[in-house]
Amino acid sequence: MRHRSFLLSFLFLFVGCTQAQEPETQPVSSYQLCNPNATPETQRLWSVLCSEYGKRAISGVVANVDWNTRETENVYQWTGKYPALNVFDFINIHASKDVNKQGWLDYSDLTPVTDWYNAGGVVGCMWHWQVPANNGTNYTCSPGSQPGETSFDPEKVSDPSSAEYKRMIHDIDQVAGYLKKMQKRGIPVIWRPLHEAAGNSTEFSGGGAWFWWGAKGPEAYKALWRFLYDRMVNYHKLNNLIWVWNSQMNDRDWYPGDDVVDVVGRDNYYALQYPLAKEFKQLQAEYPNKLITLAECGSGDEVDMSLWSAIWGEGSRWSWFMTWYDYDYNAGTSDEHRFAGEAWWKDAFNTGLVIDREEMKRLLNL
Amino acid sequence: MRIDRYILVFVLCTLSLCTLSAVERTILLGPKTIGKAWKDNILIEPRHFASAKAGDVLTVYNDRAKGMSQAAFQHPKTWQGVAPEYGCFGFAGPFRMTLSDSILNIARTYGIILGGHDYRILRVTLSEASDYEETIVWSGPAVTMKADWSASAEIPGRCFESLQEGDGLRLHVSKVQEGAAAKLMDFTWNALAPSVDGMPVGEDGVTWFIYDRAPLLKLQLAGYGSQTAMRVGGKGYRLEKIGIVRQTGEVSEDLTDVQRAPREYQLQPGELFRGEKAFPADWSGNLSLTAAPFQESTENDVLVISYTLDQTAVASGTKAQLSIRNSRWQEITGAAEPVWYPLDGTDVVYMFDPVALDQVKTRGLILTGVGFTLTRIELISAQ
Repeated sequence: MRHRSFLLSFLFLFVGCTQAQEPETQPVSSYQLCNPNATPETQRLWSVLCSEYGKRAISGVVANVDWNTRETENVYQWTGKYPALNVFDFINIHASKDVNKQGWLDYSDLTPVTDWYNAGGVVGCMWHWQVPANNGTNYTCSPGSQPGETSFDPEKVSDPSSAEYKRMIHDIDQVAGYLKKMQKRGIPVIWRPLHEAAGNSTEFSGGGAWFWWGAKGPEAYKALWRFLYDRMVNYHKLNNLIWVWNSQMNDRDWYPGDDVVDVVGRDNYYALQYPLAKEFKQLQAEYPNKLITLAECGSGDEVDMSLWSAIWGEGSRWSWFMTWYDYDYNAGTSDEHRFAGEAWWKDAFNTGLVIDREEMKRLLNL
Repeated sequence: MRIDRYILVFVLCTLSLCTLSAVERTILLGPKTIGKAWKDNILIEPRHFASAKAGDVLTVYNDRAKGMSQAAFQHPKTWQGVAPEYGCFGFAGPFRMTLSDSILNIARTYGIILGGHDYRILRVTLSEASDYEETIVWSGPAVTMKADWSASAEIPGRCFESLQEGDGLRLHVSKVQEGAAAKLMDFTWNALAPSVDGMPVGEDGVTWFIYDRAPLLKLQLAGYGSQTAMRVGGKGYRLEKIGIVRQTGEVSEDLTDVQRAPREYQLQPGELFRGEKAFPADWSGNLSLTAAPFQESTENDVLVISYTLDQTAVASGTKAQLSIRNSRWQEITGAAEPVWYPLDGTDVVYMFDPVALDQVKTRGLILTGVGFTLTRIELISAQ
């Protein structure tokens, strides 16, 4: 009888230990930046990302559409803390005043970026790469044959005589110019271009790409990624970038390669703790030498995002998270933040396992 | 005696006149919650439209709307908008649909589905065209809204001097193209409200009713006289005139023929559904549950599904049964063929095995079946 009790106790202990087991992350030294010429500031940021990976998550938000830190102010008002990361979006480069006299914003004015960086914040950039729509007047990322969509062909990346190739070079060089200004100011950038390429093509039959860069399938996409990497790193000598590739899950065919990717990200707006933990573990198993991050998240049409305490408690160990902006909330026309509001952010910081801007400043020795 | 007779005649005449004058009558009474993700809706029954005429106006009074709430008037068979401009639109305050002949044809035959997301229907009314009077306040020169949204019409402040809260601004249009949309802006080019930032435009134009002080003040204070107070932009149509529409009819309190929304219940802890959800013989009854309530579930947790049999369907030979699927309509246990639970009136009790548990925690479930009315689903924890 006593023997059985011991056995049972042992079993319970074993089960308890198994359930509480932390997801395994590699030793810090096993994560390497793919660009050997990364600037000292970039290496320093990378070192912090790696050393915190699996222990604490870095908090982040995206800009309100393009070139500002509006969303960070929401988080500050709710919690008294700023998130550590603000991600800017090059979505409207065609309307930047340095290239368009009638433009309404100015990417060449780095003030929002430098102010954020000088306050201790991490700078991220993404790129909803808009190209001329089929109607010849609008700009869009959406592939298709309708007037408001674009039939812009990513395969033309290998045809230097094509109009698409010239457009790509033009746009890449424009963005590279802004990133170079950041490099000159010593600002490292978490850089996430060409995101969500597979769309929902791997999710169900009949699914497809959401953006033109995924419209011609994985081979064209990977060629475009590598072209972009080469143009930015080798041609423009941009050594301040940490390259983030987005997985749509089960899209290994779309992965550009270990030599041109530093971090694997996942975007999720069905952000419940259980599916998130499954996805984290799957990505960690598929890309063991890469940091795994929740590159976009928030409540979706169907469900409210789980609290960060529940997400972390379920075993997710995303390097950072980035909640999406709510245009209506920021415009004052909605009282409720669609993606991540006050309660969510308070819970996140209350876990004690989420890094804010002050803590990041300390970690970076700024 | 003769005086009494006069009085009686006078009263009868007055009553008769009152009956003849236009009234706004309630045809559907809520509350009916239209929740997230376009999953909720209600059918406005065909009978309400038997005596309706083209030009009559359907009004949906609502509350609990958010900035991004949207609504739709849909064809019950195709689920398309009853007209292109009614397939999906934003709103703030009550929203309306003017009945055309083609919409009436649908409404009289099938009824109209009222759906969308993130608001609650309080009541739906039908009023006659004569309940509204319109004053044209701007009559051109007409402006063609090009596909690139670059064109706009400048409307001077004097046009809005008589505008009141509750009034509507009606855009009279022509040459409407597919996907036509209008944007109503203040003089600084900002949209007057989220719901008018690209509102769909139909052949009959579009009307925006103003229930908020802010845009009204913008229009009346920012511009006056000949100064620009509003800019009308958009694409795919030609703006001909603008009128101010005001409702002048009376409201009937008669609810004798009203359609009542199914009762809504406050869910108790553990309840995932409570109400009356029909699963009729045409297999149109399905219920989806997201993965959210299952996030803490463990193996051996139990779903208890309660229902009442549809005696009419059963009497006509329908075999009452239900099936539990994953979000992609596959059998939740992972089996190749769906499992059907025959229904005899007793609750269906379903215990999660590891496969089913993973499915519901990842993507939720769908309940499908025939010949019953679902009344309750409860999740009982094994722990």
